[in-house]
Amino acid sequence: MTNLEKYKKVFMDSLSISENELTEKLVYNSIETWDSVGHMGLIAALEEVFEIELDTDDIIDFSSYKKGFGILGKYNIEL
Amino acid sequence: MGNAILKDLDAYEIQQYQQNRYPCFFLDYVEEAIPGERAKGYKNFTFNEWYFPSHFADEPNVPGFIQIETLTQMFLMTFLTIPENKGKKTGFVSVNNARFYKKIIPGKKLEIEANLKSYNRGLAKGTSIGYIDGEKACSIELTVVIPDVFNKFLPSK
Repeated sequence: MTNLEKYKKVFMDSLSISENELTEKLVYNSIETWDSVGHMGLIAALEEVFEIELDTDDIIDFSSYKKGFGILGKYNIEL
Repeated sequence: MGNAILKDLDAYEIQQYQQNRYPCFFLDYVEEAIPGERAKGYKNFTFNEWYFPSHFADEPNVPGFIQIETLTQMFLMTFLTIPENKGKKTGFVSVNNARFYKKIIPGKKLEIEANLKSYNRGLAKGTSIGYIDGEKACSIELTVVIPDVFNKFLPSK
């Protein structure tokens, strides 16, 4: 499984959404499941799958599906 | 998590860790709390409890919402005993699979065992189970948040 496939799967599993919902429009609080609790679950799942620990500033900044690409890049995870 | 195990906390000492107060404070004693792991202790229900005259006059028993709150307050002791969390306010996120197996009447002692499944960035998940006379009386799965901690990690919009 590629990093991109892992990234997509985390979003789909954590937020209970389908692959066609993984677009630039997917941002924090744009859907019911990506609320504050969903955010923490999403972050925890990403950390587990990619074996990283995100900095506080990056967790706060992780406000969209698209933004995650750049943030994970800081941890040497290319999507 | 490497924090010191706490033993034999009375009601006054418990209130140093959580902000629940009478008439919404429902723990009498914590026998042991392992910060970041589990807590156990008990609540004695006497006929003098404020809710027995109204629930019910001819058949006093502990209301379900008070059983849930009692189980929850023991659960709080699994993570409010982590030194940096001591005394912080908490809020419910969810209570799932609440089960009530026995009617709890005046004079009974509810022994409670709470286990923390996970605690991360102010979000605590776990279970709490109450026993009467050695038999399971009530149980819940719950998620509780420490807003002071949790809110620091949320995107601004």
